[in-house]
Amino acid sequence: MFLALREVGRAKARFGLLMAAIALLVFLILTQQALQTGLITSFIGALQRQSAPVLVYSVDGERTLQGSVITTDLEAGIARVPGVAEIGKIGQNTFTVSVNGRSQSDAALIGYATPSLGAPAPLSAGRLPDAPGEAVGSAADFSIGDRVRIVGGRPGPELTVVGLARNAQIQVTPTMFVSWSDYVAASRAANPDAKAILPSVIGVRPTPGLSDGAVATRINEALPQADALPKAQAAADTPGVAAVQGSFQVIFLLFALVVPLVTGLFFLIITLQKSRALTLLRAIGAPAGVLVRALLVQVLIILGGGIIIGTLLYAPVSQLKIGSLSLRFDPAAVLTWAALLLVLGVISAFAAVQRVLRIDPVEATTGEGGR
Amino acid sequence: MKLALRELQRRPGRFVVATVILTLIALLLMFLGGLLDGLVASSTGALRAQTGQFIVYSSTSRNALVRSRIEPATHAQVAAVAGPGNTGGLGSVQLGSRIPGHGPRDLVPIVLFGYELAPRGLPHMPPGPDEVYADTTLKAQNVSVGTVIELGPARSRVRVIGFVSDSQYLGQATLWGSLATWRGVLTENRPGERVADGVVQAIIVRHDAAHATTPAGIDAATGGATTTLTTDQAINALPGVAQQQSVFDQIIGVTVVIAIVVVALFFALITIERTALYGVLKALGASSTTLFWGVLLQALIVTLIASAIGIVASLILAAIIPPGSIPFIATPLRLATSVAYLVIAAVIGCAFSLRRVLKVDPAAAIGGGQ
Repeated sequence: MFLALREVGRAKARFGLLMAAIALLVFLILTQQALQTGLITSFIGALQRQSAPVLVYSVDGERTLQGSVITTDLEAGIARVPGVAEIGKIGQNTFTVSVNGRSQSDAALIGYATPSLGAPAPLSAGRLPDAPGEAVGSAADFSIGDRVRIVGGRPGPELTVVGLARNAQIQVTPTMFVSWSDYVAASRAANPDAKAILPSVIGVRPTPGLSDGAVATRINEALPQADALPKAQAAADTPGVAAVQGSFQVIFLLFALVVPLVTGLFFLIITLQKSRALTLLRAIGAPAGVLVRALLVQVLIILGGGIIIGTLLYAPVSQLKIGSLSLRFDPAAVLTWAALLLVLGVISAFAAVQRVLRIDPVEATTGEGGR
Repeated sequence: MKLALRELQRRPGRFVVATVILTLIALLLMFLGGLLDGLVASSTGALRAQTGQFIVYSSTSRNALVRSRIEPATHAQVAAVAGPGNTGGLGSVQLGSRIPGHGPRDLVPIVLFGYELAPRGLPHMPPGPDEVYADTTLKAQNVSVGTVIELGPARSRVRVIGFVSDSQYLGQATLWGSLATWRGVLTENRPGERVADGVVQAIIVRHDAAHATTPAGIDAATGGATTTLTTDQAINALPGVAQQQSVFDQIIGVTVVIAIVVVALFFALITIERTALYGVLKALGASSTTLFWGVLLQALIVTLIASAIGIVASLILAAIIPPGSIPFIATPLRLATSVAYLVIAAVIGCAFSLRRVLKVDPAAAIGGGQ
């Protein structure tokens, strides 16, 4: 222990550089993790926040809100399925808007006909709309009192933000929840040629005692045109979510390989460099176990220090907003990665440990210890 | 230098670990690059296929085809600037399609385009009513000439009369028909998005020598009702394309840094192991430069072997991946760039061993270091 700490203290630059490299890698891993979580939340957050326990898409919509169109016949069919207690129209589209008279930007509108089947819950501030022209906005993008005008082929409605919902974006776009009538008005402003404005999905509440999954199964069996999913599954199955997760898994795998690779090679190199001193220590009676423990203590100090510094660097970055993407500090991710990297780092020191165990004290008398 | 080569020949086992790790990194670089190229190609094909140089959107659309809407009067103003025959309307609709042989819930996502100016590879005149050309990736979905595809919830029927290559849009296969076919399908399946006769989503403008057409000139002629982009600008404005590019570039950058670290650590290890040998060689008159060139040569050879394996694997991968599945393409430029990155990483990685080689004291060979 004493030797291990004294060596770290004397070769500050060398150990400091490795700690800095590990801190940088930990920072990158945690930032990428925050990006992944932020991206997925911004992609499907509104689906998770809306209040309908079951969502029914048209099969043709392939589980995307914007691709799905529910015909009047299909809507009526859903209402007739046994076990369906209540249904509500939900529409979604992306519009060009002007917020508080500023230049044009994008906003997704989610229109709902029944507040208990489509309105966001819970709200982080304000209240739900109770009159036409009012909206709940995604908390990361809007403030209460913001005035949002729909810009289209003809003048659109002006909406006032009266409530905010956290993590309520859809498709990484600023999102507003509005009444069905406002949604229809916005759609007609964007396209004056529009015939009928049909819902994108139907929100369903099952009868008491029937599970969300069971009512979804009944709807799918009764209506070949319908694709009913419980809310959580609808969010998870949104096209693109799996692809985003898959891409980040590759990145995480890369980083998870690099940390032990760098740590392992570093300690192998310094073990080789000091092999003469280690041979001498063995020759004067130091047990191999003591040298191995000293090595592992150094590995833990470097990894632990790197993880702590990396986490401290990540903490302020996790409070940032990148475009429409909000990041957040995730303690579970920090703990998981810290444990994983510590275990992998210690395992990676195996080659250096082996080298220490192979030292023959006799070599101190032959000059072989330097090899 | 000869010594370095001889060591590689006689003790190849010593370099196996570095070669294997670098081969993995080469594969990763080429795979990531090929995936990026494939993703971009599958997102942008429909716009790259356009034979016009400019794409005109309505000014409130924020350059999104699906939100853009151009009235006949505006189209006429654009045509007056660009000259007769140099403009053509373009419309799109994204729908699920039912292809014969697929299950009732096994839909293939498709974008139907209506056009007036023929994209690359299509005959001058748009096809007749309810006839379409299909992107070649649809062949993997059992689509052939004569196949009738049902589009959207209204099951609008279109018949395939031929194929066009490299025309995917936002990762989806495309069908190309007349504007009338597009309007019909749009009205039947998306009543909220239907457009009146003469209305299109965008205008493709062909630049000719007789008309000095510029994006600014077009937008001025329409009184600011339009936003005109070059085809390249329109491609970059597609949702996700720039972001995709930036994320993949970052991953590729990190991978190159990993390659540098691997080469640096591996050759640092080899140099430490050889310190005594280098002392002897220096005592015999070998210069530090000669020794360092030897290390560099070995690093380059190991890197080139890893790169060669990576190239062969990438080409095999590109050949065996069925069209329409993973969007992976192996272009000579991408493979050459990846090799260049690895070579640069090898040189930089090796540079970390230079200091060690310079520090070797020839006196150590005769015990001066003891």
